[in-house]
Amino acid sequence: MITQKIDERVNWLDDRLGVQKWARKSLNKIFPDHWSFMIGEIALYSFAILILTGIFLTFFYSPSTAQVIYHGPYKPLDGQKMSAAYESSVALSFTVRAGLLMRQMHHWAADVFIGAIVVHMCRIFFTGAFRRPRELNWMIGVMMLFLSIANGFLGYSLPDDLVSGTGIRIAFSIVLSIPVVGSYLAFFLFDGNYPGTQIIPRFFILHVLLLPAAIAALIGAHLAIMWHQKHTQFRGNGATERNVVGSVLWPTYAFKTLGFFFLTTAVLALLAGFFQINPIWQYGPYVPYHVSYAVQPDWYMGWLDGALRIMPAWEITAFHHMVPNVFFPAVLFPGLTFMLFYFWPFIEDHFTKESVTDHNLLDLPRDNPVRTAIGWGVLTFYFLLFAASATDVIANTFSISLNLVLWSFRFMVVIVPPIAGWIAYRVAKEMQTWQDAGSRKRATIIVRSADGAYLTEEAEPRPGDRAHLLPPAEVPEESLAPAVAAHVGGAGPETVSPGQVGVTGAALGGAGRPASGGGVKRAKRDHRPSGLGGMLDSLRPRRPRD
Amino acid sequence: MRIHLAIPSAVVVFTAAVGVTYFASPAPGAHASSLGTGASTTPTTIPVSHNRSQVASGKTLFIANCSTCHGTNAQGSAYAPNLVGLGAATIDFWVGTGRMPLPFPTAQAPEKKPLFSASQRHAIVSYVTSLGKGGPGIPNVQLKGANVATGEQLFSLNCAGCHTIAGVGDALSAGYYAPSLYPATSTQVAEAMRTGPGNMPRFGPQDITPQQLNDVVAYVHRYIQHPVDRGGLGLGHVGPVAEGFVAFLVGIGSLLLLSYWIGEPAEKRESHGAGA
Amino acid sequence: MTGSDGTGGTPSAGGTAGGSDIRPVATVDPHLEPSVRHQHRMEMIVAGSFAAAFVGTVGLAVVYWYGGQDQWEGAFLGLVMAGLGVGLTAWGKYLLPQGPFVQERETLSSPSAERVAYSASFERGVGEMRRRSFLGKLLGAVLGAFGVVALFPFIRSLGPQPKLALFTTSWRKGSRVVQADGTPVHYNDLEVGGYMTVFPSHDANSAISQTLLVRPSSSPFTTKPGRETWTPKGYVAYSKVCTHAGCPVSLYEEQTQQLLCPCHQSLFNILDGAMPVFGPAPRPLAQLPLYIDKKGYLRAQAGYDEPIGPGFWERGA
Repeated sequence: MITQKIDERVNWLDDRLGVQKWARKSLNKIFPDHWSFMIGEIALYSFAILILTGIFLTFFYSPSTAQVIYHGPYKPLDGQKMSAAYESSVALSFTVRAGLLMRQMHHWAADVFIGAIVVHMCRIFFTGAFRRPRELNWMIGVMMLFLSIANGFLGYSLPDDLVSGTGIRIAFSIVLSIPVVGSYLAFFLFDGNYPGTQIIPRFFILHVLLLPAAIAALIGAHLAIMWHQKHTQFRGNGATERNVVGSVLWPTYAFKTLGFFFLTTAVLALLAGFFQINPIWQYGPYVPYHVSYAVQPDWYMGWLDGALRIMPAWEITAFHHMVPNVFFPAVLFPGLTFMLFYFWPFIEDHFTKESVTDHNLLDLPRDNPVRTAIGWGVLTFYFLLFAASATDVIANTFSISLNLVLWSFRFMVVIVPPIAGWIAYRVAKEMQTWQDAGSRKRATIIVRSADGAYLTEEAEPRPGDRAHLLPPAEVPEESLAPAVAAHVGGAGPETVSPGQVGVTGAALGGAGRPASGGGVKRAKRDHRPSGLGGMLDSLRPRRPRD
Repeated sequence: MRIHLAIPSAVVVFTAAVGVTYFASPAPGAHASSLGTGASTTPTTIPVSHNRSQVASGKTLFIANCSTCHGTNAQGSAYAPNLVGLGAATIDFWVGTGRMPLPFPTAQAPEKKPLFSASQRHAIVSYVTSLGKGGPGIPNVQLKGANVATGEQLFSLNCAGCHTIAGVGDALSAGYYAPSLYPATSTQVAEAMRTGPGNMPRFGPQDITPQQLNDVVAYVHRYIQHPVDRGGLGLGHVGPVAEGFVAFLVGIGSLLLLSYWIGEPAEKRESHGAGA
Repeated sequence: MTGSDGTGGTPSAGGTAGGSDIRPVATVDPHLEPSVRHQHRMEMIVAGSFAAAFVGTVGLAVVYWYGGQDQWEGAFLGLVMAGLGVGLTAWGKYLLPQGPFVQERETLSSPSAERVAYSASFERGVGEMRRRSFLGKLLGAVLGAFGVVALFPFIRSLGPQPKLALFTTSWRKGSRVVQADGTPVHYNDLEVGGYMTVFPSHDANSAISQTLLVRPSSSPFTTKPGRETWTPKGYVAYSKVCTHAGCPVSLYEEQTQQLLCPCHQSLFNILDGAMPVFGPAPRPLAQLPLYIDKKGYLRAQAGYDEPIGPGFWERGA
């Protein structure tokens, strides 16, 4: 039998590494079921696609600012002088088989990656999943967000096209604006005054090695901690602070999450096939004195660009030194943002003092109106900054004066977030008073009795009702099954054979286990069976389903 | 199983789209650049005929449609500039792009469907230029043999700053805007460069030679107005803002829907069956 | 899949399971049951998804064979991945046990005995350090010093010191004004209402010395007191590097005589010494004094009289 062969191999490994103990526990690991718990996986799988497509791109991209002459199928660039970086990026998009697809997939994956991180972070925030014991994982997550944004910017800069080159020029000015050391930092980073000679190769090594390695290491830590601490869960269906209720890793969750990996890839491939992103050949090579209007960074940098735009024209000059304008929106502000996010679990705990116990059950946003209000306010603030990075596009699209748009944003970023927060607070408060807000109502039937009285009674549950109708059960453990079966009044030999269980029983682990399926688990909740059933049931939450 | 249906239909739709774009895009090397040939022999501007009947009909049209603001002799008024001596290209551009006549004075005359036919326009040009000499003539655009690579460089240096590198236009200060280049004819692009309508700077023949003018116009005509979108839908050619929306609405949006399918436990019939 | 699916759904009635004399009905734990009633149909759907993925694979191979095309590649790759993804997910969701299952959480913190034992173990080394604190401090000092020294060449070799580079451009007294291709600029070259990007002749294409030459009028005008002679024949030159974040300021609004920076929409008044009138730019663009030489070509009277471009710490006012 195949399983036997595999067993031999695993035993060989086990003799040397002792893997089976860990692997058994892992295969039986429970993952709570909720759609919002999949968002982090979107980010994880996008990162995997970024690595795979990125490796492909490195085979064809040449990280050099050496000037070359382009000769290729795109006529408007034919004979033009450009950097080898840009030339190779254009060639990659025109003459390498699947090159454009890989480039576009890489870029879409980056946009989706950081987007998924942000949405994931919102889920964590609004449900309070960052509370003890998960503060560390929150901080790791915030670090990954900022590293990803930085790496996204570096990658966006690598093609050395007209639009991205302008972004590098702004980056130079931002580094330059740092008090005391700014000019040194900028000169060291760029190898001289702008445009320098080394920026593309340096960005390249940061982009393909240092930052991805850092992000990968942090992802490893993030997942390991999540694995060790076990996932949070929402209330209901027997979930408590002390247990985990959900799907078993092997095989159910593994199949589904592998499926999600392929589906994420599918979405990215279809985006890459049908939605053009960053058509660098249309932008032309970067020339320091050329520029295009409507230059925006990728969306995840938009909040910084917006902050740069709406910053009033202030600058501090004193004692023959200057703190330039861009320092405030582009260095100080993101620094404070990072600090606020990074230390949020402790800031919140300072006020709530919730960290005396572990919090494995999640809040609904309405459960904590103050946090929800703060979250909405902050989210609104950053969204407004993002929108402010498109002042010109907004003005043009809606035929409004650019000046009016800019001034509106200057006021809105101050006025709107508190209002949004207050509305969120009121909505959360209001929702607290609703019975079963957000859940599907079961129909009520009105019956007329024989003597003419009218009664209402709840309808029978229908297939569309919530799935967690079954009380959660212990994961069947094959190793225990035969011994236990003997205890349960000799039910062992007569229980269902694997063949009868069909695909599922076999997939769950083949032989023995269905024994305990023999009715033990089927006991009514108010009936506590003896033997294994009693043992397992003692672990099972007995809270009635609400 | 919505996905099952979506994918094949998407494939069919995009197959068609791909086929169309593929065959519509110019074949490589179809217009190999041949610098300078014939450029010096052809006149750089199109002469304006001033035969009497044309001037007369132009005057009639002018008085009926333009004189309220510009005055009967095109001398201008408090609302509108003097047109005498501005040249044929200016008049041809403003009338030809539908910007004039303008019902009410505004900061910037918007482009619209031209009121006049080509011959009526020629008559108006003929009348106004008969009132005084000066100004650039209508450029005689010769796209044959133009060098689109030179055109791209000049476009990137001089035009992209306002019209964007994709030529879709953008907002300037205080309600002004640089219009999209998509609707402009080749001659109108050339006229705009020579005359600098509105807030646009002027590019005289000392600055941009007639050959360079042809190069820029050829680039605009062939690659700005017909961009090579080999990567799929162009998303309006406004860059990362549109891309960000697609990333969220299409990318994250569809993945969230999928995660709703994947992440929620399957609806299981209750063990009692409930009959349903 | 099997007949047990149809019949096995009936659970054993409550109360019977515990009794040892009544044999439990041979049944399947619903936690282990697939969630669909018609497993065969679901198997066909999964098989169909995998088949679609295979078709996509073949399609991808054909597209590659013919040289590749982005839309077809995306469509087929998407088909392969979607086929696999839909198939696997449906398999996992509809054909595999759905639970819900429950598991204990282990206590994360170590028992207090363990903590005590840990401090004792750790103390072994710390105690030693405390006893010979001089050696410990020396070790720390050496490592620290080495760290700084090891970093120094790395950081220092990355690039030159800024020195005065940020204070100057390559414009000098008498520098000839040329276009990017090196063509000198004659006073006839720009019509009124025209503009071009220019450089000093010895440093054409310079990113730092790039200058915007504008001709708002045909005769000299005064942008600021003391600059009366800087605008011969109505030519005025400003640094093209924005004082905000360094972008090339290249939107010349001819009607309003303003320069707009495309990056963050700072607006500068050409007739008023490029004073910023809107947006985040805090300072005017530096103005280059021009003159016209005997042959009619434009030249610089001198270099810029202030550092150009965005601010930096050493810049002062």
